[in-house]
Amino acid sequence: MLELRELEVSYGKRKVLHGINLNLKRGESLAIVGGSGGGKTTLGLSIMGLVEGTIRGEILLDGKNLVAVPEKALRKIRWNQIAMVFQNVENALNPVYTVLDQVSEPIVAHNLRDRYDAKRRAEELMKMVNLPEGRFLAYPHQLSGGEKQRVLIAMALANDPDLIIMDEPTTALDALTKVEIINLIRNMCNERELTILLLTHDLYAASMLSDRMAVLYAGRILESGFTPALLSNPRHPYTRGLIRCYPNMTTTKDLQGIKGMMDFLDTGCPFHPRCTQSIGICREKAPKLEENDGRFIACHRGGIIPLLEVREVSKTFDSVKAIDSIDLTLYEGETLALVGESGSGKTTTAKTVIGLFEATEGQMYLEGERILGRDKNFYQSVQMIFQNPMEALSHRLSVQEAVREPLDIQKQGNREQRESMVRHILEEVELPSTQSFMNKYPHQLSQGEAQRVGIARALILNPKLLIADEPTSALDASTQAKVVKLLLNLQEKRGIGMLFITHNLALARKISDRLAVMLKGNIVEEGPSNELISSPLHPYTKDLLKAAPTLSANVLVVPTNNKNDGQGCPYANRCSKATEVCFKEKPKLRSCSSHRVACMNLKPEKEE
Amino acid sequence: MRKIPGIGTYAIAFLIILVLIFLLPRMMPGDPLTAICGEEVLVEMTPELRTELLHRFALDEPLWSQFFVYLTGIMHGDFGYSYYYNAPVLDIILEALPWTLLLVGSSLLLSTVLSIVIGIESGWRRGKICDKSLLTTTMILNGFPNFFIGIILLLFFAVYLGCLPLQGAKTPYSGLAGIDSMLDIARHLVLPLIALTLAQIPGSYLLMRNTMITTLKEPFVRTAKAKGLSEVAVRYKHAGRNAMLPIVTTTGVRVGIIVTGALFIEIIFSYPGVGLLTYNSLFMRDYPILQGVFFIVAVFVILANFVVDLLYTKIDPRIGDDNTEYAH
Repeated sequence: MLELRELEVSYGKRKVLHGINLNLKRGESLAIVGGSGGGKTTLGLSIMGLVEGTIRGEILLDGKNLVAVPEKALRKIRWNQIAMVFQNVENALNPVYTVLDQVSEPIVAHNLRDRYDAKRRAEELMKMVNLPEGRFLAYPHQLSGGEKQRVLIAMALANDPDLIIMDEPTTALDALTKVEIINLIRNMCNERELTILLLTHDLYAASMLSDRMAVLYAGRILESGFTPALLSNPRHPYTRGLIRCYPNMTTTKDLQGIKGMMDFLDTGCPFHPRCTQSIGICREKAPKLEENDGRFIACHRGGIIPLLEVREVSKTFDSVKAIDSIDLTLYEGETLALVGESGSGKTTTAKTVIGLFEATEGQMYLEGERILGRDKNFYQSVQMIFQNPMEALSHRLSVQEAVREPLDIQKQGNREQRESMVRHILEEVELPSTQSFMNKYPHQLSQGEAQRVGIARALILNPKLLIADEPTSALDASTQAKVVKLLLNLQEKRGIGMLFITHNLALARKISDRLAVMLKGNIVEEGPSNELISSPLHPYTKDLLKAAPTLSANVLVVPTNNKNDGQGCPYANRCSKATEVCFKEKPKLRSCSSHRVACMNLKPEKEE
Repeated sequence: MRKIPGIGTYAIAFLIILVLIFLLPRMMPGDPLTAICGEEVLVEMTPELRTELLHRFALDEPLWSQFFVYLTGIMHGDFGYSYYYNAPVLDIILEALPWTLLLVGSSLLLSTVLSIVIGIESGWRRGKICDKSLLTTTMILNGFPNFFIGIILLLFFAVYLGCLPLQGAKTPYSGLAGIDSMLDIARHLVLPLIALTLAQIPGSYLLMRNTMITTLKEPFVRTAKAKGLSEVAVRYKHAGRNAMLPIVTTTGVRVGIIVTGALFIEIIFSYPGVGLLTYNSLFMRDYPILQGVFFIVAVFVILANFVVDLLYTKIDPRIGDDNTEYAH
């Protein structure tokens, strides 16, 4: 019904919208999401023909190009065919007229009914949006925010339009009112087959009200797709950033922002200064919105890149299979937490990735390229921090020497440059960069300081992948909290992908985007952290969750039988639901909702 | 948001004016009797008359009791006696007052309506030729004092063209009645009215244009446009209606300014209003008349302000409303 083709809007020399292509079918609801100042309102106003700047491109409404329609004819289209629910800011309604007058005004102005009938119709609409009857003759300043929003919605419905553009219809409302308004809009859509273009930065409203979603950033659409898929699996770094910084009850990871500020750029990808995976071309050319696996993404790198891919990797010590054909993918800028009891093969996995152990079978890929040998270049992009910082730092090297060592090995810069880099990185990990501190030896440091030095040493080469093997388990709780926050901040700033190994599920859920549960060298369940925590599928994950620390005193019954049984499911002899087949056959990792689980008792949705 | 002053505020203002008018002649150097009765009295002053007058104005009594006598006098409509005109002050003022009311009232109405309309049109066309030329014209107009405009008008229309009367409020001894008399009065009113109004327009026009420009940026104007309303409806019903509010607020203040302006205009056109009366009384040192005029003018300005405030609650529903959901 509505189609935008290469729409461009500019105010003077400033281009606010760049080559927007959108398609909206009758009865469909599309949400445009993005930070404020991204051009959402401009997009809505340009469809109404109310934008002050110059418009290029086409806005097709049922095949008619609105850009070419003269103002006078446009006036007949406004409100009759396209209506708008304006953002409920102060004075979105005229302060000197009653709301009844304002709702009925467009009916009279377009000669649809006479004054009296128009008022009756306005009353019906206001009843429908649940405005209390005594409020019809009120002036806008006498109404609450929710009531004003209802009036704005009733007003948009006055002339029975085909398309309604809603600009932030739920912003600035309290939680319960917001839900009421959302339900109201949903009911209306069902009853009237409305087509809706929703402009919002509120992901909750977007998820509730839209079928499809498009992410707008600095005047360009960066990603678009079906709403649930886009929210559960964002593929553009900006979309992921938006979701990460949106406080909600689903996400378990701490809030993370997006570095930098929005800027309208003339050349290159608009997001590249804030993107942690940008490469040379991102600065030079703006990417086109292209279809990729059922999703439209505008990114030179095809969306968030898989940083580390582990494919069917096994490691055998003599005849013991320490890790048994595991599959893992770690995306750029994400944390993948590897959880499991001691001896489950977590550390072996980490050491195999970094090359301390040679894999017996399988392949590994770094940024899409197979890892064959591990040379200096490899260690420039992959670094590790260790469990016990005191032992990991050589006690014959001062802080300065320890942190500088990787630079010496890689032969980067001259001595002065190296030293200034050391000071810089020490500041970044929140350590003093004074000479007296840099001259200290590990035994003179506290545990927390030592671990920070370890982190500084790992980060000085600016790696893309950081493997953290129980980096905080030797630290007390308050030091641990600080180190974890530091790691998250560094991730936000540098976009480091982190393979975080821990036995602490409570910690893992705070720091990770995805969780993989390991048991006896196998991955038994893997999926987004929030879902794994809220609806675990594997019995082992469930038991781990039960055993995770809480602050309420509950008596737990956790199975302890630890008899090793080579064949069958690794959890069979501890599992309360184990059947005969569990002891005989090892379950494969299969997709189940958004997880991958290896359990015989689950009915998979599709085989992988 | 503006709050309406209560009736108490007006009462206090009124009282202060009363006290000032009462104190003024008594604080002037020289004989208060001269100040109160005018210098004409001195010519025929005998000791007996002096005592009698002193007693009549209670000047031989303490100040508070003098004030009481003055107050009761005003209550009874006694503003004193003009020895120059040989008539009670009130009668003389009442004779001049209707002309001033006619001149000031019509000028107030005309200048307000005109500046609202051209302010709306000019603000709507901001930056266009129409707006720029209106702006320039009013700026030039703003540079001229009203008596200068009056003199130019007088010279051009009355002296050079001779199509309008030179002076006065009506043709004396013409014996006109009914419609003819009204037309005659209107013909006499034209030039002073234009002169007074032209001088008033620049200030209000600039205010109106300014608020119009800010109002046009308000979200509800966009809402109105989006509803597909005609341009006139957007301009007047939505933007103009809201932009008008400050003009209405300042009307009370402008009443005072117009009355002052009328003083000069009435002198130039020999228009027999309160302004001309003041001028003549100043020349004759007729203090009783002057005091009476001050009093009446002050009362009218206060009254005008009061009416404007009452009107304002009708124009802006947000004023004096107890049902407000939010504190603005």
